[in-house]
Amino acid sequence: MSTAAQEFLRRSIEKSADLTHKQIIRRGIDQYNTANDRGRMRFADWEAARQRCHEIKWEALNNLDRYLLEFEQRAKERGAHVFWAENSAEACRYITELATSRGVHKVVKSKSMVAEEIHLTPALEKAGVQVVETDLGEYIVQLRDEPPYHIVTPAMHLTRKDIADLFKEKLGDVDTDDPVELVAVARRALRRDFFSGEMGISGANFLVADSGMIALTTNEGNGRLCTSLPRIHVALAGIEKVIPKLQDLALLWPVLATAGTGQPITCYSTLIGGPRKPNEVDGPEEFHIVLLDNGRSELLADVEQRDVLHCIRCGACLNACPVFRTVGGHSYGTTYPGPIGSVLTPHLRGLNEFQHLSYASSLCGACTDSCPVKIDLHHHLLENRRNAVNGAERPWSERIGFKIWQWTMQSASRFRILGGLARAALRVAHRLGLDGTPLDPMGPWSKNHAAPRVPKKSFRALWGKNNAAN
Amino acid sequence: MPQTENASREKILARIRTALREPAPRHERSEARAIFAPVTDLLDRFQKECTINITECVMIPDSRSAGTAVRDLLAAIPPGEIFVQDSPDLRQLAAAWQDGREIQWSSEGGPKEASQATISGCEVLVAQTGSVLVSAACGGRGASVVAPVHIVVATVAQLVPDISAALARVQERGIVAQSSYLCLITGSSRTADIEKILVMGAHGPRRLIVVLAMS
Repeated sequence: MSTAAQEFLRRSIEKSADLTHKQIIRRGIDQYNTANDRGRMRFADWEAARQRCHEIKWEALNNLDRYLLEFEQRAKERGAHVFWAENSAEACRYITELATSRGVHKVVKSKSMVAEEIHLTPALEKAGVQVVETDLGEYIVQLRDEPPYHIVTPAMHLTRKDIADLFKEKLGDVDTDDPVELVAVARRALRRDFFSGEMGISGANFLVADSGMIALTTNEGNGRLCTSLPRIHVALAGIEKVIPKLQDLALLWPVLATAGTGQPITCYSTLIGGPRKPNEVDGPEEFHIVLLDNGRSELLADVEQRDVLHCIRCGACLNACPVFRTVGGHSYGTTYPGPIGSVLTPHLRGLNEFQHLSYASSLCGACTDSCPVKIDLHHHLLENRRNAVNGAERPWSERIGFKIWQWTMQSASRFRILGGLARAALRVAHRLGLDGTPLDPMGPWSKNHAAPRVPKKSFRALWGKNNAAN
Repeated sequence: MPQTENASREKILARIRTALREPAPRHERSEARAIFAPVTDLLDRFQKECTINITECVMIPDSRSAGTAVRDLLAAIPPGEIFVQDSPDLRQLAAAWQDGREIQWSSEGGPKEASQATISGCEVLVAQTGSVLVSAACGGRGASVVAPVHIVVATVAQLVPDISAALARVQERGIVAQSSYLCLITGSSRTADIEKILVMGAHGPRRLIVVLAMS
């Protein structure tokens, strides 16, 4: 078992027994479900919306080179610098060099999962640049020195009391656990940073090819401040974020908001194309867009799972997943938790090390049903399991076990004989008192469940007997 | 200056092209169905959506009465500078509400941290979501996000049925091509990052007010 798998198991066992955690997450997800149900009702046909979103992303991904080039050309015409990064190191190096060459001391950052993926903050800090997370949830987890718990609500796992205690310790002079007051405290603290930061870093929810603009969705307005006040703006996005037309946003914006939080549309749906123009009041002097590959083009080559790149990072599948709700976002130990993370991470970081995530699912399909762009998530988990067995390392005992199973199942007589032997062996083991000892053949099963008592007669024997009696 | 023309660009594009040699399957396209119910009564829908997304909608009979409406709104706002989009209409309006207030016009630079409110126009109003679409021309990027109150002066003629129509309008009029910045604003700034409890006024305005003239 890989180290990542062992860690995942350890944290999952711990978290699933944490009743406080369970209560907080249940409340958060109940609220999301209510809002999301209401939000979907605003559509005349939610299923038609999902289908259309699937088609928009399909068109974009299956002509990715063309749309990326169109986006690049139009963005450059607007005065943006476009940099293509093959991997995390290259993206971090570009942004860090930009910051140091421009004398940047402080970066104000809007929420970006891609920045988490490439570990941008530590890279900038190593170069002596201070990085301030400005999304409230991200700010809270940054103060706690923790990764985000959820891709939409990073501090979902904390109570107001946890946050009040944290602010008291880190910011001082906080004597309340009223959310309104706590938000005001963070607003005051971050205002200073917005006005003194020299560089703003944001992600991008969409890269609009026909307009050369990036679309950025935020509720708090921090994303807007990060991209308006500092003299340099850097937008970081995966290459899969491109969409063909500005008009596509007329659907993607409401769908992202509905799937993400249940809102009809997010408060601020912003379009940014280029630095401040000569006739404009304000805005940055420089605008850089970093397009990140980091394994995405390899996933694109996997025809079966290409649609994983359709993901708009709404977090709906996390909320829908019974495993996520039980083990929590941090147990995964990955940038992207939940079903989408379990599918995506093996592609980004290696199937061998992260194959265990394919089993972190009951295959109930709730994730697939919740996905607003119709990614076939639970089948992709099955495909990753298959690929792991075919390509990656599995224990020899498993391989031999399945060989025997296969051979047995191919003949009725072999099944009867071997089934009879197995039943007898289990009954003998039970009578010898081996239950729960290291010699117990049902050991791996009975570790987590009560092992069933093996009946004297097989199902087939009982069936034959009862049918004869009738 | 870091290099913008980079070697990785060609490598990534080559990998994408190789990857796309085989087409991906797609979900069966069903017959075209209406995704949203059509918006019919624009003003009624806009007002209803404003109630839902917590935008204050102040109806006035005509544009001339906007000055008085703004004055009444400012009466409840603490003393301090007001940031105003520098346009002929809003300049003319200022006489009716200024009343000793200090004004910073957008032509003098972006809003200061201490500004108490912004007054601006907008490009389009969206009935479907009760939203206000602003561009960089509406006082700049900071205008609609820095001050704790944002007052938008608009007329019903600016109403369009939905987001699709709003985007089409700004594209046709060349606003998308001319602006480095557009924002579709729906309600005031908010967060639910603490226990999923909705709190207004996270980093942007606590109040968004649309002063809407019938003619």
